Amino acid sequence: MIKLQHVNKYFYKNEAREIHALCDINLTIEDGEFTLFSGASGCGKTTLLNVIGALDTIDSGKIFFDEKEISLLSEDARTTLRLNEIGFVFQAYNLIPVLSVEENIGFVMKLRGFSDKEIKKRVLEISAMLEIDDKLKSLPNALSGGQQQRVAVARAVAAKPKIILADEPTANLDSKNSQKLMNMMRELNEKEGVSILFASHDELILNSVRRVVKLNDGVIVDD
Amino acid sequence: MFSVIFKLAWKNSFLRASRTLLVIVMIAVSMSMMLGISGIYDGMIENMADKNQRSDSGDISIYAKEYRSQKDIKYRINRAKEIREEIKNIDGVESTVLRVKAEGLLSTAEKSSFASIIGIDLKDEQIFGKFSEFLKDGEIDFKNRGALIGIESAKKLKVRIGSKVVFSTQDVNKEINSIALRIRGIIQTTNINLDKGAIFVNIQDASKFLSLFEGEAMQIAVMTEDNAVFEKIKNRYPYLDVKSFLELNPMIKQMQDMTLIFNSITFFIVMGVVFVGIFGVMYVSILDRIREFGIVLALGMNYKYIRAQIILESLVVGFLGYLLGAVFGAVILIYLRDYGVDFSSFSDALEMWGYEAIIYATIKVSYFTATFIAIITASLLSVLIPLKKIKKLHPIDVIKADV
Repeated sequence: MIKLQHVNKYFYKNEAREIHALCDINLTIEDGEFTLFSGASGCGKTTLLNVIGALDTIDSGKIFFDEKEISLLSEDARTTLRLNEIGFVFQAYNLIPVLSVEENIGFVMKLRGFSDKEIKKRVLEISAMLEIDDKLKSLPNALSGGQQQRVAVARAVAAKPKIILADEPTANLDSKNSQKLMNMMRELNEKEGVSILFASHDELILNSVRRVVKLNDGVIVDD
Repeated sequence: MFSVIFKLAWKNSFLRASRTLLVIVMIAVSMSMMLGISGIYDGMIENMADKNQRSDSGDISIYAKEYRSQKDIKYRINRAKEIREEIKNIDGVESTVLRVKAEGLLSTAEKSSFASIIGIDLKDEQIFGKFSEFLKDGEIDFKNRGALIGIESAKKLKVRIGSKVVFSTQDVNKEINSIALRIRGIIQTTNINLDKGAIFVNIQDASKFLSLFEGEAMQIAVMTEDNAVFEKIKNRYPYLDVKSFLELNPMIKQMQDMTLIFNSITFFIVMGVVFVGIFGVMYVSILDRIREFGIVLALGMNYKYIRAQIILESLVVGFLGYLLGAVFGAVILIYLRDYGVDFSSFSDALEMWGYEAIIYATIKVSYFTATFIAIITASLLSVLIPLKKIKKLHPIDVIKADV
């Protein structure tokens, strides 16, 4: 469970151009949720995703990841939390260019110390589910945008994190691939029990999720 | 974990293959040139020292007290033959020779010059310093008052093979004596003193000419690899003037020190170039991949593993450069050791200073070990600034930059 209490986040604090990106956010995300943070560009949905994912810091308030308060953790401890508990799907895929698809998918598992046998088994399982099992030896730059995004999803889910944070995962995909990706994400959520949080303004995602948290100028306006 | 770090380091090292290969080749070429130069510098000095040892002083030379300063035959070793036999039995002594020497005037029908007559035993000298290798012209033959003359003396006195010369000096009885000698060979030792002013004759002929008693000599030279032998001889014969090679040849010691300085300067220049080369490649490579580092940090890779990866990348470049440089360097050194560098066009100047016209390189294991340590150190130091940059990196900055 993730709990946010009176979370505030500013950009360019104490400067003339100060932005109050998150205003007194109070939010609880239960295990197994399939939730969307929606709103117009600049409303704070990506920032919210980043602070939940321990990628960004907050200026005030508290964020609990299970019982652990993220805001009190050191940089190294936050890195370890991300490694062990969170999977990320970035809008720009962010695959490691020198590693093959197989190695990219198994990368987080490798960092977590899974055995080669376990990694291989899991990579085959996930890649088959995401229909990229025929591309395992390819390098990322040999794949289409849709395929790269599926590799990014596979990487996020492979190590069985508690939660996956997906920022605009369909932004670079056509409608057919977007639909395919969302079907897979839902399947992962249902089959693997992984919580998935999206930040997006894509209608397709809006229609696929079970919960929508709407933001406007850093404030939750609807839940 | 290590396998993934190593894989990333290896693959990223060759992500820009031509850039990395250029640095590897630059390290290899700089290193091999440096090894070649070091080998030649050391070779020049070692060759000079070797010739001096073989032709004159050995590792240790023993004289009567005052002989070296006065050059008077009254300062001679009385029991030289016996002492030589005793020294031969000291552990670690490889070979010894006795020499009879006197200063005097060497004359031809037209010219004359100050010179030293040196009485030697050819058989002993051959064992001691392969004397026959110094023969430049003619033959080594002391029969019928045959003599060998230093190359510079021969030039000065315009002496050829077969020429007749007369050497005059005082004998031990203060009588002026002369001996007529027939030049059978011209020798070149690159020992300036010998080449410029020595005439070698049979030791018995020299002893007789100087009216020495049986077993007397001016010098006992000793070859040994064992440093303890010097102290043993010094302690056993406190009444004699026992000198080590470097004490007798302070100029060579100075030249060794100078060579060390030259080699060190070359070494630091080359290592500076290596450092700048690796630093440049690593810095640009890290700037190129700053986004990738942000991503792996975001995914949960700890900074210490990223640091290990960057250090490994730098070591891969440095080590491959070293390997290639070591191979190139070894080939160059072996060539220079076997065939040398021909400085014949400067031979007069070089020989005047005791160098040979063809200089052969020396090969020392320390060239390779010191270079290895230096390149690895340069590789490690070159990533300090790039690592500082990564340490300051927050994954969120990279993630934001993507959007």
